[in-house]
Amino acid sequence: MRIVFSLLLSTCLFSSMAMAHPEYLQYFKKESGRPINCSMCHMDPEGPEGIKPDQIGGLSKEEKKMLELARKARPGDNITNPILNLFGNEILNTIGHDKLVELEKDPGEIPKLLSKTSDLDHNGIPDYQKLLDGTDPLNPNDGLPWKLFKINFMKNWFQIMMTVLATISGVFGLCYTIIWFSIRTKKEFK
Amino acid sequence: MSDKKKGLKRLVEFMYDRLPMHKFNFEHIVLEKEVPVHRMSWAYYLGGLTLFFFMVQVVTGIFLLFYYQPTVSDAHASIEYITKYVNNGFFIRNLHTWSSSCMILCLVVHAITTFAMKAFAPPREMIWVGGAAMLILTFAFGFTGYLLPWHQIAVNATKVMLQSIEESGHYLPGFLSGVPHYMRELIQGGSVVGQATLSRFFALHVVILPLIVFGILAMHLLSVQLHGMSQGVDTLPKKTEKFFPFFILKDLIVWGVAFLGIFILAVCVPFESFYAFPLFQAYNALGATPEGIKPEWYFYFTYYPLELLPFWLVMIGMIVTGTVLLLTPWIFKNTSRRMLTIIAWAITAYLVITTLFGNVILELVKGVKS
Repeated sequence: MRIVFSLLLSTCLFSSMAMAHPEYLQYFKKESGRPINCSMCHMDPEGPEGIKPDQIGGLSKEEKKMLELARKARPGDNITNPILNLFGNEILNTIGHDKLVELEKDPGEIPKLLSKTSDLDHNGIPDYQKLLDGTDPLNPNDGLPWKLFKINFMKNWFQIMMTVLATISGVFGLCYTIIWFSIRTKKEFK
Repeated sequence: MSDKKKGLKRLVEFMYDRLPMHKFNFEHIVLEKEVPVHRMSWAYYLGGLTLFFFMVQVVTGIFLLFYYQPTVSDAHASIEYITKYVNNGFFIRNLHTWSSSCMILCLVVHAITTFAMKAFAPPREMIWVGGAAMLILTFAFGFTGYLLPWHQIAVNATKVMLQSIEESGHYLPGFLSGVPHYMRELIQGGSVVGQATLSRFFALHVVILPLIVFGILAMHLLSVQLHGMSQGVDTLPKKTEKFFPFFILKDLIVWGVAFLGIFILAVCVPFESFYAFPLFQAYNALGATPEGIKPEWYFYFTYYPLELLPFWLVMIGMIVTGTVLLLTPWIFKNTSRRMLTIIAWAITAYLVITTLFGNVILELVKGVKS
């Protein structure tokens, strides 16, 4: 009963404000060729509408106030929208709320307006690039495989070289141990 | 001599030919054993390579066991914990995933080359049957291990596979039609995929299947050691090399290269990066099913035909394939190596096409993007 009531209440209160943006999702899904979902920018994979803790209907009083503030965010602000994740908030604070709504018609402009150096998951692929690729900007293990290979190879080249050296030495040592054993057995069994 | 005694004598002789234990000595295995050298010699290393990847699986699997929690509430979180917070956890997990794929690839190529080289010819029938059983068990390893991370693709793909088992009941007559439903519930442990399923798959993946594989593997390796490598080609090879130390040395170098290969892959390319990220989010029974649910790549050879062809046809195909696989030494007893090579190429072409281009074919035929 409580859930139904809060759902109805949230629907009444926020129906005009709740703005799920399927246009963005559809655009980047089409461009990247990867099936993505709302969790790229939102806290909840199902999007902002609903009564779960990170959705509009499930927000506390304080969070609702934050949501209101976020809807007035301007470029350069540092506001936290409770229904958005770190990347969603980065987009909001870089572009501003009004411009973001405006770009509903042309979501392809969003990556161009984002910082070219920002990399929230520190995996070497900038956030704007992850948005274009349809990969998760907050997961360091997600990215296009070839890009990740190049970046991780350069990042770990010393460890890789050391492992190559260790493996070569190990195999070399084992081979000579086997050869020694072989010579000894031949001598023994002659 | 009575018929019963004759039968027993024949059985003892059969077993003695298949497991010549008199050869189980230092002289035969270390000093005398030779390996034929010819154009197909590279195929002799595939069995050892599969064994190497299996050993990597065992070692990395044990490390993962230290942290993995087989409960629906904690399984995904424990995987996240391993990946993000455990020292080298990401590397160990990635090594486990990459080596599982490499193991299956090597095992399939090993089976195909063994078939083409007629290495199942008497007295090596039991080596083939053991290998075929391990191939099936390896797919079972893949199937059970896929569910353990309890993410969207894992649970949904398992549901699809279990649903396929149930559907096969529609094509069976009489009381047999109820068997697949019973089988599904037996595997699932209940009416839906849940904690009972996860517990069963976990037990199968880490205890039951490894124990069975260890038993069959021991027999397989022992038989191979006793019989030596098969001739592999029609004409008697002009050259041979000593198994010890020359073949072992080369095997060791191949293992070293394979280790470096999977090490670099595990460090540089997360296996999950080949899939869309929503598929790896924690499974939500109440949420929408994300797009792109598919089984692991090594099941594509049955998955795409299932999407394209009538279910009964694929089911018959699978039963026939499984039977032929296990009875190969008797079915192809008199088939020439030339013919076997042609069949092996046809199987390879089928596997490559369905695995690499299955989605393109599905898109072309049905207009569905998988």
